[in-house]
Amino acid sequence: MLEDVSIAIGAGEVVALVGRSGSGKTTLLRLINRLIEPDQGDVIVDGRSTSAWDPIALRRNTGYVIQDAGLFPHMTVASNIAIVPRLLQWPGAKVIARVDELLTMVGLAPATYRDRWPDELSGGERQRVGLARALAADPSLLLMDEPFGALDPITRSELHVEFKRLQAALRRAVVLVTHDMAEAFALGDRVAVLFEGRIVACDTPAVVRTSSDPRVAALVAPTSAKATVGQTRPVPPKLQGSEGG
Amino acid sequence: MSALIDFIASHRAEFIARLGEHVVLVLASTAIAAALGIPLGILAARKPSLAKPIVALANLAQTIPSLALFGFLIPLPFIGGIGTRTALVALTVYAILPVLRGTITGIQGVPATVIECAVAMGLTSRQVLTQVEWPLALPSIVSGLRVAVVIGVGTATIASAIGAGGLGDYIFRGLAMVDSTVILAGAVPAALLAIAGDAALALAGRIADPRRRSRSAVAALAAMLIVSTAGALWASGLAARRDIIVGSKNFTEQIVLGEIVAQVIERQGLNVERRFNLGGTAIAHQALISGGIDTYVEYSGTSLTAIFNLPPSTDSSVVFEQVRDRYAALGVTALPRLGFNNTFAILVRAEDAERLGLKTIGDLNKFAGARAGFGYEFLERPDGFKGLTVAYGLQLAGQPRTMDLNLIYRAVAAKEIDVTAGDVTSGQIEAQHLVVLEDDRHYFPVYDAVPLVRATLLLKHPEIGEALRRLEGAMSAAEMRRLNYAVDGEKQDPFQVVRAFLDKLETLYAKP
Repeated sequence: MLEDVSIAIGAGEVVALVGRSGSGKTTLLRLINRLIEPDQGDVIVDGRSTSAWDPIALRRNTGYVIQDAGLFPHMTVASNIAIVPRLLQWPGAKVIARVDELLTMVGLAPATYRDRWPDELSGGERQRVGLARALAADPSLLLMDEPFGALDPITRSELHVEFKRLQAALRRAVVLVTHDMAEAFALGDRVAVLFEGRIVACDTPAVVRTSSDPRVAALVAPTSAKATVGQTRPVPPKLQGSEGG
Repeated sequence: MSALIDFIASHRAEFIARLGEHVVLVLASTAIAAALGIPLGILAARKPSLAKPIVALANLAQTIPSLALFGFLIPLPFIGGIGTRTALVALTVYAILPVLRGTITGIQGVPATVIECAVAMGLTSRQVLTQVEWPLALPSIVSGLRVAVVIGVGTATIASAIGAGGLGDYIFRGLAMVDSTVILAGAVPAALLAIAGDAALALAGRIADPRRRSRSAVAALAAMLIVSTAGALWASGLAARRDIIVGSKNFTEQIVLGEIVAQVIERQGLNVERRFNLGGTAIAHQALISGGIDTYVEYSGTSLTAIFNLPPSTDSSVVFEQVRDRYAALGVTALPRLGFNNTFAILVRAEDAERLGLKTIGDLNKFAGARAGFGYEFLERPDGFKGLTVAYGLQLAGQPRTMDLNLIYRAVAAKEIDVTAGDVTSGQIEAQHLVVLEDDRHYFPVYDAVPLVRATLLLKHPEIGEALRRLEGAMSAAEMRRLNYAVDGEKQDPFQVVRAFLDKLETLYAKP
């Protein structure tokens, strides 16, 4: 599905992967923590091929956030956040302190939220907990798959602000998958555009925004013309034909 | 209701033992079903290609009627035979499906995104199972167990038919005696047990759900488990102190005969366990051969035809000798005949017999316009009605009516019919003022009552053989009818009826 993809992500850098549904952005993300294995080629994390990593160790060193957070419904907020530290067998007191630290960091008062259940939280709160959980063991790499996709626009922009503030402090390597170009421009240091399994653009938001490549422009256009947000502009049939399968 | 309480109070020790057996059956079979069904369910949930055949198989097992399943298991080695082990196998078969379903539903119901997150966070597949899938599936697994327990309590009542004891003993005994108090003594506690089991697991379900877990619920469940396990073990321990197991088939006369054998042995100072109400000749025979019971009373004609597949005969001594030899080869001793022959009896009203001077079956030709009515089987079998008319040259008015066996005695008394074929020893004969016409041409095969005892037991306890030999010829058909009527007609307790009978016999023996 993915073909001929090459991308390097620096420490402290946020790369936003954008593209339509089926363009391969989630596949690319899952290759990084070996949820799927590449048929060919190599994924290198911290200077080492992922095939050389123990997959369990690799994943514990990689934060993972998905749409609607994927919190464990049978665990409290604190237990959810504490999963990876517990797997790594941190001492109990350190785990408790870390949970409170993370809750504070994502803007949730520990005393109020620690013992809540996931279904008692709003969508935005769940996403904050998901982020805290991903950051719990201080991973060097953070993978985020549509993390803000299920939120209303106001909550989403609040969380954008929150994310930027956190990233400014933590400086993690982040791969963020989104289908929303505006979100990619807002959060990404670089924006990579995937089209039918290939990266057709990968540069700073300023450069991507002005790309003349029609495959990129088709994604950028709705964001620049605010009035048409939410509508899909028809793609010229000629372009689809020329790209092939 | 007060009759029920009186009955239970007067059978306290036995009742507790039966209840204990029942609880042990249900607890053990549910535990085995959980031990098999939960891992199988997890496997099936992981590999949907396996799920279909596994569930189909469990479904199929569920559709087998329970008595048929017990019957099917009896001849099998290791898991078969009669008694607790076979009952456990059958109950486990029934309990597996709900456990399996609950497990599969529970595991498959865990959201894919939750599993994905668990894997992506670096849980090993074992940790995904124990920390994520298991706790999320647990409420569904527990509800599967609840269904299994409720089914188990119900099905375990049928286990009585293969000698596994339990509350079913009372239900079958009550059915045989047409005594609703005895039926209720089994049915009401069984229903309460089902409710209690369901409540206990509902509590377990609350504990399984971390949102509603509470210290008091854990404590209550632990207490219930401890009490029921300890109680059940204690109760089945009561039953364990016995030297001899006496069996019987599942109708009134058999229960009375079983009680007679049991009390005769008890009067020798031995401990007796009663395994009455075995569900048929084949089961009782199998139990005797396999050592599930040590003794029961069989009818010589039944042994001859139903067990040894030999043609019926009308000569009492010939039948007895044939049967005795064949039992000897199986390690079973046939003791002397008790005296009565439980064969077919041609019955008329006593007033007609007197008026017309009817003594033998042949005299029926003096009964002009007599209308006959018989049970379906008697009309159909060649050694029934057809052969009878030939043997005696009978000329009855019109075709005989087909009637339900339980109604024939009353139908004659009510003058709906004038002649019927009943059971020589039926308590209804005297109760409905009927008389038996003599079979002077020896048309009907003989069914003499014969106590059967395992030979090894007689070697170990020769006093049992001696005591039972003293019953030879002690029981006439009239005596058996009286005992049957006391239980069936007058609703007396078989234990008391038999005790009075044996007391009377002893004074008779003491006289000369």
